[in-house]
Amino acid sequence: MSNPLHKRRDFIERSMLSALSFIKEATLSEEYANRKGFLQSLDPRFKTISFLAFLVTAVSLKSAALIGTLYGFCLILAFFSKIPIRKFFARTLLFIPLFSLCIVLPTLFGIVTPGEPVWSFHVSGINGIITRPGLDGAVLFVVRIATSVSLVVLLSLTTRHSELLKVLRLFGVPQIFVLTVSMCYRYLHLFATMVENIFTAVKSRVGVVSQQRHGQKIVAWNIATTWNRTTHMSEEVYMAMLSRGYTGEPRLLSEFNATPKDWLWLLCAIIICSGLFYKGYFL
Amino acid sequence: MHIPDGYLSPATCGIFGAVMIPIWTVASKAVKKTLNVRQVPFLAIGAAFSFVIMMFNVPIPGGSTGHAVGGVLVAILIGPWAACIAVTVALVIQALLFGDGGITAIGANCFNMAFVLPFAGYYVYTLISSGSPSGSGRRVIAAGAGAYAGICVAALCAGIEFGLQPLLYHTANGQALYCPYGLNVAVPAMVVGHLLVFGWVEVIVTALAVKYLQKQDAVFFEGGRS
Repeated sequence: MSNPLHKRRDFIERSMLSALSFIKEATLSEEYANRKGFLQSLDPRFKTISFLAFLVTAVSLKSAALIGTLYGFCLILAFFSKIPIRKFFARTLLFIPLFSLCIVLPTLFGIVTPGEPVWSFHVSGINGIITRPGLDGAVLFVVRIATSVSLVVLLSLTTRHSELLKVLRLFGVPQIFVLTVSMCYRYLHLFATMVENIFTAVKSRVGVVSQQRHGQKIVAWNIATTWNRTTHMSEEVYMAMLSRGYTGEPRLLSEFNATPKDWLWLLCAIIICSGLFYKGYFL
Repeated sequence: MHIPDGYLSPATCGIFGAVMIPIWTVASKAVKKTLNVRQVPFLAIGAAFSFVIMMFNVPIPGGSTGHAVGGVLVAILIGPWAACIAVTVALVIQALLFGDGGITAIGANCFNMAFVLPFAGYYVYTLISSGSPSGSGRRVIAAGAGAYAGICVAALCAGIEFGLQPLLYHTANGQALYCPYGLNVAVPAMVVGHLLVFGWVEVIVTALAVKYLQKQDAVFFEGGRS
């Protein structure tokens, strides 16, 4: 049986799992992007613009009910895009919104946010009061963050990553920058695997690293080695680019093809956002 | 340190996006001047490197772990302007594809982690290490000090950005619309955590990585690239 102390301190294992989860997540995302669902059938340019509009709407609205409506719409889209809802919840609610909920908890109480009491309680001689402004503010904060995270994750899950990065050109991002982002993304998998292999090699030689100082040295050595490989790889990649005809002026292939369905979707998105803005600010 | 969507108001996000545009423009010009046509693979792989650094969990006292940003290390290795682009690329990929850090907050995140952090850290490093040989121990100390200064200043910026939200954006009855804590809470919360814990993670990673790189190939420290 493994020693729990060792288990807790086995940062090598933890780092490896972290690296692996990144790779798996990315692969899994492509898996959903290849399914035949509603969002997958849309042109990435139209989809990205519409999701940015939803995101700006979610961040701008001041009513938790209206943002909640947008969240409901996001769940409907996830359903029709063949994203398993349970996994979607796990990916969108368990990290950032849960963390945000913990951050915002103290603001529920009268001591931080004074106002009309909603509920009072008495624990171990301490009187606690949850106030209306505190509760409303906390609900608004968490609903907004859950909706924003869900929109971004849904866009990322239903779009091939290479296409999503190419869409950056739409926003006037220079081609050289888009190419750098695309290349970086491709090399991430390679780097993560490289790091994983280095850690596996270290682990096979030293076993579980229980000493903090030793662990720190291994991490630093790993980073230094990764940098050395980075510079060598950079040269090799440049030579490979030259051999394929790279002249210093990057060119990206455009495979986007808009259909009437995409225009209709964009119109729907504009109507939804305008409607929510109108209700939120003028009614 | 990664600010998610919804913590900052759209106006704050817009201001930081606008502030970053000239910084990115100057960065790309500075990098183009020094790195030539080789810039694309070098920057892309440098960006992948800074992304990967953020995945390393470093053991810290108490049996827990923390992760470094690595912006100062990248700045020491490839220069602060190139680091600005490399960290920006890493942050864009994290926000777009992994949902780590907000899309609307990308300007603020890049300001803190791709501009303030590498530049503050790099100049502290340069100040302390100037005139020292490439393999000297002073460079290791300088790298650690730079990393500590860089991440703490970046955390201070993030704290100020958070703390300004309830002052500037609230309802008529005073209910905060975005990050709910004022400067008196947000700044200490961000700065103290980085002064006591995460700053030291950055110091360990940066100083030890520089030490190992000095042993492997001291040429990295014979002058910045940009």
